[in-house]
Amino acid sequence: MASSTGLTVAGALLAGDFRLSSPIPRKVSSSLSCLNNQVLSPPYNCCWRLSGGKILTPVSNSRRFAVGKEAEDGFLSNVSEDSDEMFDELFNKYGKVVYRSDDQKSVTAEVDDDAESLAFAVELAKVASEVKAGDIKVLFVKPLVYWTRFFIIATAFSRPQIDAIGSRMRDLAEKKYGRVANGDVKPNAWTLVDFGDVVVHIFLPPQRTFYNLEDFYGNAMSIPLPFEDQPPRRS
Amino acid sequence: MIQPQTYLNVADNSGARKLMCIRIIGASNRRYAHIGDVIVAVIKEAIPNTPLERSEVIRAVIVRTCKELKRNNGTIIRYDDNAAVVIDQEGNPKGTRVFGAIPRELRQLNFTKIVSLAPEVL
Repeated sequence: MASSTGLTVAGALLAGDFRLSSPIPRKVSSSLSCLNNQVLSPPYNCCWRLSGGKILTPVSNSRRFAVGKEAEDGFLSNVSEDSDEMFDELFNKYGKVVYRSDDQKSVTAEVDDDAESLAFAVELAKVASEVKAGDIKVLFVKPLVYWTRFFIIATAFSRPQIDAIGSRMRDLAEKKYGRVANGDVKPNAWTLVDFGDVVVHIFLPPQRTFYNLEDFYGNAMSIPLPFEDQPPRRS
Repeated sequence: MIQPQTYLNVADNSGARKLMCIRIIGASNRRYAHIGDVIVAVIKEAIPNTPLERSEVIRAVIVRTCKELKRNNGTIIRYDDNAAVVIDQEGNPKGTRVFGAIPRELRQLNFTKIVSLAPEVL
């Protein structure tokens, strides 16, 4: 109980201070609730030193935790007098007060990324259609798997055609979007071209029915394509 | 840590049940294989009436190991069994579905086909 009050006080006051004193600032500030007393102690001391010019009551950590509520009240009342100044000072010194980890994107950024990936996927599907790939499907698999956003599944009818589709896609991605693909380089019965957020599967007809990937990702939303009204060509 | 003579479970519906590693593909005198490595294995147990039979020599990718897999961020993944997915010479899986959780490292090692057939990626 006592230690938890100590935690919240330190967290509220010293969000900027963690950066200074801890060796790995981002992790510490983002996972404050996981900290234990030992980890907390250096910034705590730092707080007292920073504000010590005005408060000047250096108390050891152990006493603070023992006194608990009383100490917290006293601490807060003292701080309330000059907290604005202290915050201003900290803000001027360190710029930001709150840190978030970089991998958490805002909702709008996420939607923007999705839209960009969708445009890219539709463009790749168009390329496949130009090289006469059959039965092209673009699936939005992001709700099902975390590791990619879109699947493009297409059927090609010979290995040279697979090669043509793959190389055209790679060229377009590199020229227009500056992306480099991973995956199969040689034409294969199931050729996979991995652009990170868009994964392209090009099958020969027997492999397409064998693996039946559309069925496995049956819950994924299928994206309507602009050229879809044309019937798939069969050789 | 998979080495020759290690028995592995099969994590797909190719028809094989148990494999025994007989060779690790890579360097000439490699001692152990880990997740994402290709091995040559012999089928020790197979489901009847499937394309794969007992005592057939195949290639397989290791997808789960009892030996811990460490990541740069400090995460450690350890599975309860050693398991592999049977592949052909081109790298296509012989089964159509992969069972159980597999690690995302396989994607970086260009086994995205296996990842895309798996129900769960850690």
